[in-house]
Amino acid sequence: MYEYGLLTQQIRRELEAIVGAENVSSSSDDLEKHAIDESLEPPHPPHVVVKPRRTLEVSEIIKIAYREKIPVTPQGSRTGLSGGSHPVQGGIALSLERMNDILEIDEENLMAVVEPGVLIMDLHEETEKLGLLYPPDPGQESGSLGGNISTNAGGVRGMKYGVTRDFVQGLEAVLPNGEIINVGGKLVKDSTAYSLIDLIIGSEGTLATVTKAILRLVPKPRHTALLYVPFESTKDAARTVSEIVRRKVVPFALEYLPRHAVLTAEKYLNKTLPDNSHPAYLLIGIEGNSETEVEENLETAGEVCIEMGGVDAFVADTAQRQEQLWEARKCLFDAYKAYWEIDEVDACVPRNRIPDYIEGADRVAQEKGVIVSTLGHAGDGNVHSLIAKGELPEEEWPTTLEAVIEELIDIALSLGGTISGEHGLGLAKKRYLTRQVGETQVELMRAIKRAFDPLNIMNPGKTFDLL
Amino acid sequence: MSEGLNIIVCIKQVPETTEVDFDEETGRLKREGVAAVVNPFDEYAIEEGIRLKEKYGGTVNVLSMGPPQAESALRDAIAMGADEAYLATDRAFAGADTWATSYTLGLSIKKLVPYDLVICGMKTTDGDTGQVGPELAHHLGVPHVCYVNEIQEIKGGEIRLTRLLDDRVETLGASLPIVVSVSKDINQPRLATLRGRLKAKKTEIHTITSNDLEADPMKIGLNGSPTRVVKIFTPDRPTAGDIVEGSPEELAERVLQKLVECKVI
Repeated sequence: MYEYGLLTQQIRRELEAIVGAENVSSSSDDLEKHAIDESLEPPHPPHVVVKPRRTLEVSEIIKIAYREKIPVTPQGSRTGLSGGSHPVQGGIALSLERMNDILEIDEENLMAVVEPGVLIMDLHEETEKLGLLYPPDPGQESGSLGGNISTNAGGVRGMKYGVTRDFVQGLEAVLPNGEIINVGGKLVKDSTAYSLIDLIIGSEGTLATVTKAILRLVPKPRHTALLYVPFESTKDAARTVSEIVRRKVVPFALEYLPRHAVLTAEKYLNKTLPDNSHPAYLLIGIEGNSETEVEENLETAGEVCIEMGGVDAFVADTAQRQEQLWEARKCLFDAYKAYWEIDEVDACVPRNRIPDYIEGADRVAQEKGVIVSTLGHAGDGNVHSLIAKGELPEEEWPTTLEAVIEELIDIALSLGGTISGEHGLGLAKKRYLTRQVGETQVELMRAIKRAFDPLNIMNPGKTFDLL
Repeated sequence: MSEGLNIIVCIKQVPETTEVDFDEETGRLKREGVAAVVNPFDEYAIEEGIRLKEKYGGTVNVLSMGPPQAESALRDAIAMGADEAYLATDRAFAGADTWATSYTLGLSIKKLVPYDLVICGMKTTDGDTGQVGPELAHHLGVPHVCYVNEIQEIKGGEIRLTRLLDDRVETLGASLPIVVSVSKDINQPRLATLRGRLKAKKTEIHTITSNDLEADPMKIGLNGSPTRVVKIFTPDRPTAGDIVEGSPEELAERVLQKLVECKVI
């Protein structure tokens, strides 16, 4: 076990000297706010919330923490879904929200340089003004880029572009002893030795604190269109996903929505979608640099859908109509939260196993008598099963929820899948890690953690347990 | 009306933005690089036409005046479910203001088919005048109702509809034929489907020239346009909001009222 030091008044004064008294808080409001993310995990309040503005300040704070063995939990906008930013051992909640400048958009190298507190939606807005795109697009647009990097977030454009990891070219990070390192750079290629950058990405703040990131951009395709396709059966919709790809169309987004999700979005937004009477829907995003290119791919995708049992395909080709459909897709997590207490599994399976996963998840829902709405990024194999109590008696809920999560994870693993496609393990899913990767790999990960953080002060208790 | 309603929907192709860019010197719209779409207000008109056809039978013809590329807007209307499309296109029509436009549309309609109902959108997103509908009715010599938010019934050569004014809703009756301008409250326009678009691709767009109309050359295009554009600018958007003071309870009540007013909830 690791012993941690106490956060004394003396240490607090040192922290205040670094960032200013106004950026060190232990008011109950702040402690409460920084105790949670958007997962169902119970709150874990820190002892103090510290809000640095510069890398050097981060470094100074962490040096003190290292000296005093005080746990440090880096936080962005706390929109995570796995409890990754919960300060489970108290200590310092290192909130990077003030480090929110887009430092540069380099049009010659197609890279953006950002601070970790920049919100994903702000980066999208700024890059799009220049005709550029930062493809990762997690549903939670108020998430911070530091958080996105720490969980290796994905989003709706995963199937064509990949995930956050594929776009992080360089990082400035503060190690657990306070030392500042720079890994990678404005580089498209880098074969020099071990890729420390890839260790830090997705490490949920357990290895280092990201203080600056160099992100790769792509030219934004000039034209987009969306297809909204009702299907007569969930199975037909699910089977269509890999068939579209087999026919050499690569949509930038391919989302699966069961009827339950469509009705929930309509209720939440108080708007109607083009159709709500079929068991399942696909939302297919097509993009290209000419209208002809978009039109051709749209027709092929639509024809495949109709061949596979789609009723017809509604076509949204104006920006406004596309936004309305995206709004319905993107509100879903909030919509479900508005009506139910929900937990979720964000398994990812090979794309062609999506029909099996969805069928399995629907079966679990029936057997256990709970709502499991499986929806999302079917095109990259990453669907989210949102689990809600439904009609189940209150006293049965905790154990049933646990059992449902276990079964969903087992189904995903049996299909060659992974526990988390984009949300990370954090607190909520860490106990399943060994089941997926085995003891050998977990032990390697522990060794890496010890090499970076011998005192186990960086976000302790996350991703896996250090025995 | 044994064969159903003959409906004509007038539409316009507009640039797809709300922040329209103008050439400050010429006052002309900069259309380069901006996608062209069916005027969003006209989508409600097309939708209403299709719904009436679905209810009463008949045909929906769409009509536009514009350059040859406006054809794609007409195809979008076909894809939604309209039957035939007509495009009044001629160099002689160029530079038309609302008066010359409505004159040209009126002549086109007279040339087309007997009609029971002409539906227009309330206004366009680029011109923003809302004048073409009423002026068209004038040229056709038929009644006009604007701000229509519901067409309740069409029976025995008569129409009953409601219109939404600032302070009240009016229920009106009129005899056909008539021109109506519909508001955004009237329906929610459908999305075109892939099958509809494939049909639209193959549909012939009928073109109408000034010769076809035997139009008075002094009443069309720039010659027929009494309006001159002196200056065009995008008005400043007010950024300051209302500031309300009071107790938390009063403020909560005000916020609730405001949200309801603004149709947020």
